[in-house]
Order: sequence, then structure tokens, then C-alpha cells
Amino acid sequence: MAKKKYAIVLDASKCLNCKACTVACKLENHVPVGHETYRIWVTENEIHGNFPNLTQTFQPSQCQHCENTPCASVCPTKATYKTEEGVVLVDYDKCVLCKACMTACPYDARFVNEHVAAVEKCTMCYHRLPDREPACVETCPTKVRVFGDLNDPESEVSKLLAKNPYYRLKPSVNTRPRLFYIY
Amino acid sequence: MTTDTKSASNLAGKTLTTSFIVIGLILLAIGGYASLQVLLKGHEAVYAVNREVPWGLLIATYAYFVITSTGLAFIGGLGHAFGFEKYSKMSKRIVVMAFVILLAGFTQIGMEIGHPIRLMIYLILSPNLNAPIVWMGVFYGIELVILAVELYIIFKPNKKESDHNTAKIVGFFALLVGVLATSNLGYVFGSLNARPFYHGVYFSIFLVVSGVTAGAALLLAIHNILYKFNVPENLHSSMKALGKLMGAGIGVMIFLYLWKILSSLYTQPGDSYLAVKALLTGPLSINFWVGELLLAVILPLAIIVFSKASNMKALGIAGIIFMIGLFFTRYDFIVAGQLPPMREGLPGSGVHTVNGLAQYAPSTTEWMIFALGWGVFIFLYFLAERFLILDTEEH
Repeated sequence: MAKKKYAIVLDASKCLNCKACTVACKLENHVPVGHETYRIWVTENEIHGNFPNLTQTFQPSQCQHCENTPCASVCPTKATYKTEEGVVLVDYDKCVLCKACMTACPYDARFVNEHVAAVEKCTMCYHRLPDREPACVETCPTKVRVFGDLNDPESEVSKLLAKNPYYRLKPSVNTRPRLFYIY
Repeated sequence: MTTDTKSASNLAGKTLTTSFIVIGLILLAIGGYASLQVLLKGHEAVYAVNREVPWGLLIATYAYFVITSTGLAFIGGLGHAFGFEKYSKMSKRIVVMAFVILLAGFTQIGMEIGHPIRLMIYLILSPNLNAPIVWMGVFYGIELVILAVELYIIFKPNKKESDHNTAKIVGFFALLVGVLATSNLGYVFGSLNARPFYHGVYFSIFLVVSGVTAGAALLLAIHNILYKFNVPENLHSSMKALGKLMGAGIGVMIFLYLWKILSSLYTQPGDSYLAVKALLTGPLSINFWVGELLLAVILPLAIIVFSKASNMKALGIAGIIFMIGLFFTRYDFIVAGQLPPMREGLPGSGVHTVNGLAQYAPSTTEWMIFALGWGVFIFLYFLAERFLILDTEEH
């Protein structure tokens, strides 16, 4: 059986900025409260147009679970590693808090969690897989995020990527993210 | 041993060295108190480094100390291994200074890293050989051992001819490993995918050149302080040679600055451009123009050129000014590259920016840990001056 290759496909045009995903993530993963301690975020893009014809879009995002992983390359103790499904995780026991991964990450997806005394980030809720989806995916009322296995051609993520044009964040840094944004 | 050098330590005066030992102890007390705060409250509570700028003052001070140490080892290696007699006249002081300033650097990285002991354990158990930080640990660790061996050799009583040969070999390796360690430090930053300002070979070269320049500057400064700006005749040729080395180093630094800044400006609107703009006109502009350029380039170079590198007092002042300015050079290097944010600081993004740049200013505790590093250097170095004979016999 082929290995799973997890990915998240996002349709940001469906985002209401309700922030249910950010709350679900905090609760599911016991992320401490604080301005800098968050695993996922929803950027409110600038408003376009002239009153009364105004438009605002949102960009929900998180760790991109890069195939080419800059954070893992610079980690001196292999605390940051990739599972066989391509999920990038941190072994808290090995993290020395040198913060090289934080400076190397082009998505500012990492932060120091004092409760675990390590650098942490989105894990795609790895502890819930494969039976349950990540909390942010499960909780979204408009289904902005779709989670699945890219190696399964019948999965929803594979079908979405086959049907829709998509982009990944910061292609110039050659990280090959596992988060795909469809237009 | 000449009469001049024999009496050098006495000339320095017990009062002077004792005063510096006391200053060192005060700084150690300040740093010790701050260290307790860090241990009791945690790094996050007392340091101002943040999600956008994870490396700050302590990494800058670490770089300042360890690169100066390898610069000193480079000059010592020139004297020991390559027969530059003018530098070998100062070899004891060079080795002691390089050793204690490396220890001072280690205090900074030790207080910066959240789990320094764990780092040492996992560097052995599961090292990531692709990570430049691993090699930083290896090279600086080896450098410390080499300097410790050099210390043993230079203070060994009744030295034989074989000891001089060993000193040459060890001096060569101190130079070689020092250059590797410092250029690798450029790679530690150059390997950060997200930070284009650090990419390329520039910082590896700049750090080595400015490190050797710093080594020369510190020797000029310390000798003048020790001899109360009245350096004895027999050291004049060494001081002049150091002045020329320092002048040449600053000359190369100007060359490197020019092309780095100009080439970065052409990457607009990239992060390298933003980093250089932060230096030229942004939040680091005073540091850059006054600290980096005026104190670490223009004034010391002007002093060296106008005094023709032959006035001892002028060389000492140039050395002191350079070492002050160099702190800003290191600080700007560390901070500027991290100021361009990874995403626009729009509402909800979680990123806090002012004029499009991330923000960082060191906390009081960080400044107190900075004092700890200086305390280690000043206390240990002047303790050595006070109780050991650091004047070198004629080779």
C-alpha cells in the first residue's frame, strides 16, 4: 500500500474570518494564550474598492509542512523532523531552543511555547490522524480547508487540485509546501 | 627577556589591574543577578527577543566576543606558525586574551539557548550534520581546546625546543580552526532560507576580516590601557604592525560594505533591500552611521592614516574606538537581517510591524547578560595580568 502524503487544500474565498479554526487549534493543542503563541492565523487583507462597492478577502494559514524543509535543515539536534506522510513535527525533548528554525522559516509559523519549553508549530493535529481530521479542518463552517492524502487519487484533496488552478505561498523560496490555495 | 618587557607587568601597576578586576566583579554580579532572573522567570519573561526577531543582543554579543577571539588566534598563529616576529612578541597576551574572550562569548550563547546542556547531549546523540550550528559547536569547541593547549605550552616552565615546535603547530591550528569557525558563523546565518540579507559568501568573509581587525584593535587597546598609554619601546614595532593590520582590515571592510550595500539596494523590494534600508534610513540608522561607520570605520582609519600607524597613543585610541563601534557592527548584522517580516503586518496576521519592519529592542535583562560577558572577559583577563607574567620572552 502506498504511503500517505498528507496535504491541506484551502479555498480562501470561502473564509468568513470567524476565527473558529484558530480557537479550535488553541483548544485542541493546548496552545498558550499570548500575542505570539499561535499555530494558525487569518490575515485580513486590505479592503479593495470604493464605498459602497467594497471587497475584503482573508488568508488563513499555518505551517506549510514544506517538502523541502528549511527549519529541519538548520535544526542542530534533529528535533524537527518529517514523518513518512510528510508532516513536519518537533520532538520537544530534543529541542534546545536555539531558535534557528524560527529564523529559517519563511512563513513565521513557529514560536516558543514555554509550557513545553520548546519551539512548536502546527502538527496537522497528527495525534488525531488518520481517524479524525485536524481541528481547524473539522471546525470550519464553510469548509475552507480540506485535508487528505495526495497519494489517493480518489481523495477530496486530489480531486480539488485536479479540478482547480492553485498556488502555494512563496514559491521563490523553493520549499514546496503541502498547503495548496485554490483560486 | 629584556629589561623593558620584564618590568612590563609592574609598569601596568597593581592598582590598575586591581581596578579592572573590581570592575569585572561588579559586572559579574550584575550578570549573575540577571542569570538568576532568567533561570527563575524563564527566557520569554525577561528577554525582548520575539517571534519575528528570535535572535537579538545576546547572539550579537556572542558573535562580537567569539569572532574577536578567533581574530586574536589568527594574529597569534601568524606569530607562532608563520614567523611574524612582531606578533610573536605578544603571544602570551594574545593566547590569554583569545581564551578568556572565547569564554565570555560562551556565556552569551549559554544564556541565549534555552537548553544549553541538552544541546551538548543531543549534539552527540543525534547531531544533524547538515545544520551549520552543529559545526559552529564543533569548531568553537575545538578552538577552545586548542587555546587551552596553547595556554599550557606558553606557561610551561623550562620550555624545550620541542615545545616551540609544538607551539608552532598548535598556533597554526588555532589560526585554521578560528577561520573555519568564524566563516562557518557566516554560514549559520547564510543557511537561513527566510533571510536573504545573510545569503551568499559576504558575511563569511566579512566576519573573518573584521575579526582579525578586531583582534588587532583589542591588542592595541589593551596594551595602551595596561601601560597607561605609554607603551614601552620594545613593543613599538609590534604595535605599528598591528596598526597597519588594523588599517588594512578596515580598508577591506569598506570595500565589502560598499558592494554589499549597493547590491542589496538593487534587490528592491526584497528582504535584503529592506534590511539595508533599515540600516541606512530605518530603525538601525543611528547604529549604522554613528556606530558602524563613524566609530568602526572612519575615525579609527583616519587616526591610523594620519598618525601613519606610528603613534602609540593614537593607535590605542583607534583600537578602543573600533572595539566600541564593532559592537554596533555585530548588533546591526544580527538584527537587520531579521527585521523584514515574513508576511505583511496586517490585522489578524499576528505579525507586529512598524513602517513595514519587525521590532526589537533589548530588554534590561539582556543588557545585564551583556554585562556578564564583559565581566567574564575583564575579570579573568586582568586576573591573569595581575597574577601571571604575560610579557613574552624574545623568541
